Amino acid sequence: MSTLDELKEVIINGNAPAAKRLTEAALNQGTRPGDFFAGAIIPAMDEVGRRMRECEFFIPEVLIAARAARASTEILKPLLAGDSSVRPAGTVVCGTIKGDLHDIGKNIVAMMLEGAGFRIVDLGVDVGPEKLVDAVRREGADFVALSALLTTTMVNMKGAIEALIAAGLRQQVKVMVGGAPVTESWAQSIGADGYGKDAPAAVELARRFIAEAARGMSAARRGAA
Amino acid sequence: MNSRERVLAMLDARAIDCLPAMPITMMFAADQIGARYYDYATNCRVQAEGQLRVAEKFGVDHVSVISDPGCEAADLGAVIKFFPDQPPAIDEENALLKDKTLLARLKPPDPLGGGRMTNRVQAVRMLRERASKDKLVEGWIEGPCGESADLRGINRLMLDFYDDPEFVRELMDFVVQMELCFAQAQIEAGVDIMGIGDPASSLVSPRFYNEFVFANQKKMIDGIHALGARVRLHICGDTRHIAEGLGRVGADIVDQDALAPLDHARRKMGLQPVLLGNIDPVRVLREGTPETITTAIAECHRQAGPRYIVGAGCEVVRDTPEANMHALVRYAREHKPSETRVASGR
Repeated sequence: MSTLDELKEVIINGNAPAAKRLTEAALNQGTRPGDFFAGAIIPAMDEVGRRMRECEFFIPEVLIAARAARASTEILKPLLAGDSSVRPAGTVVCGTIKGDLHDIGKNIVAMMLEGAGFRIVDLGVDVGPEKLVDAVRREGADFVALSALLTTTMVNMKGAIEALIAAGLRQQVKVMVGGAPVTESWAQSIGADGYGKDAPAAVELARRFIAEAARGMSAARRGAA
Repeated sequence: MNSRERVLAMLDARAIDCLPAMPITMMFAADQIGARYYDYATNCRVQAEGQLRVAEKFGVDHVSVISDPGCEAADLGAVIKFFPDQPPAIDEENALLKDKTLLARLKPPDPLGGGRMTNRVQAVRMLRERASKDKLVEGWIEGPCGESADLRGINRLMLDFYDDPEFVRELMDFVVQMELCFAQAQIEAGVDIMGIGDPASSLVSPRFYNEFVFANQKKMIDGIHALGARVRLHICGDTRHIAEGLGRVGADIVDQDALAPLDHARRKMGLQPVLLGNIDPVRVLREGTPETITTAIAECHRQAGPRYIVGAGCEVVRDTPEANMHALVRYAREHKPSETRVASGR
């Protein structure tokens, strides 16, 4: 078993100290920092998502796996700075919607997206429209991921999207929404681009948007040619 | 047969005239009397008024003092964020037990010491005085996993299961002791049935549920039975993976949220527990019509069998059309427990 295979296994099993040790060992063996993601971290978190969906993993297992993945990425991040060959899958600005302090669902989505190679800008809880707009503009976000646990707060998602429109940023980002009371029809009614029923679904959704954008760009290039 | 007699007869497996209906109402009840939710959650008179209005207007069989999970945590000194018109929420980032070592110094609050717990006890007393000739009076406490999450912060607690299991055990021991004391105060004020809300317990694996949560839920339920009240166990979310344990834990009523099908619960729990639920509060109860609601509840009834109480999977949400709430209760009034039928639309 290669060191990256071992790293994948210890991330799945949530062993953060082993993930740190193996990351350092693989770097010493000459593994390029950018190779860790496709070789270990992303497949590990994909497997965590699969086990979550199959009810083999529950929230504690997902959290310790995400923590182990983070133990690895924290070592890699400084090494990747300035390496233009390694780019995140996209930048996601996320948070719980204004008035809502329930963040465990948002945290898991953020961790799974991070494990899938996205750059996460986590605004935390109780995120109002101004804070959201500022972050999207500042970070050059590709995605906005908003969660709500309460029917009383999910209505504020509409205001957040309206604020993005008013700021001229709506076309720049895909807006994904989720949380216990949120439905597909609600997402459509407020003008969101997608609804994720759980964290693995959010990752799938974000990947689908990227694939669609890539297809759109290819088609545009063909059209121009 | 009045509402109270109907529910108690159902729990005792005696003959009853029709199914009971016990949907959870909180913000819906506040809206019914035009009250802001802040007032509903913090003022026992407002809460009692709202509950009585719902019980009378819609014919619901119980009145309840459930409001939010922050009563006990507030009296312990946790930071609670209050909003004008939505439930108070615990500031989890700055949770009371962010520093685990503080548990050793924590003392259970006096439920009659004048805090939020006292407000709830007073709400029980008011409902007892004004409704108990007809309605079942329901108290409310937090369960071992839910309250532990409130005190420690749910994100931290989920990691503690792996990082510090001994701390989790000590925390749940403390919670059970505190909650039984709170339950006793409510029972002495007139509770017929005690609701236990334990939402966080649906987030853990069967292994952790069995290792940490089950025994503590059982200790709470056994303790409440010894104090003379019945128990309704309410766990938000998907509980399919712990359904077998929920069937053995001893609750008189086990609520099922919309994610946990009633036929699965019945298979796993056996015939004894009364199942309550579980139409989706948003997708079915709020967004549906009286016809689709009737069909959906008929299917719940069919899946649960005769030992069934009509309700939504979780709280009846704000803005639920009144006609839909009437349809929910109407199904209960028009059906005997044994009158299940195969629904056509779900």
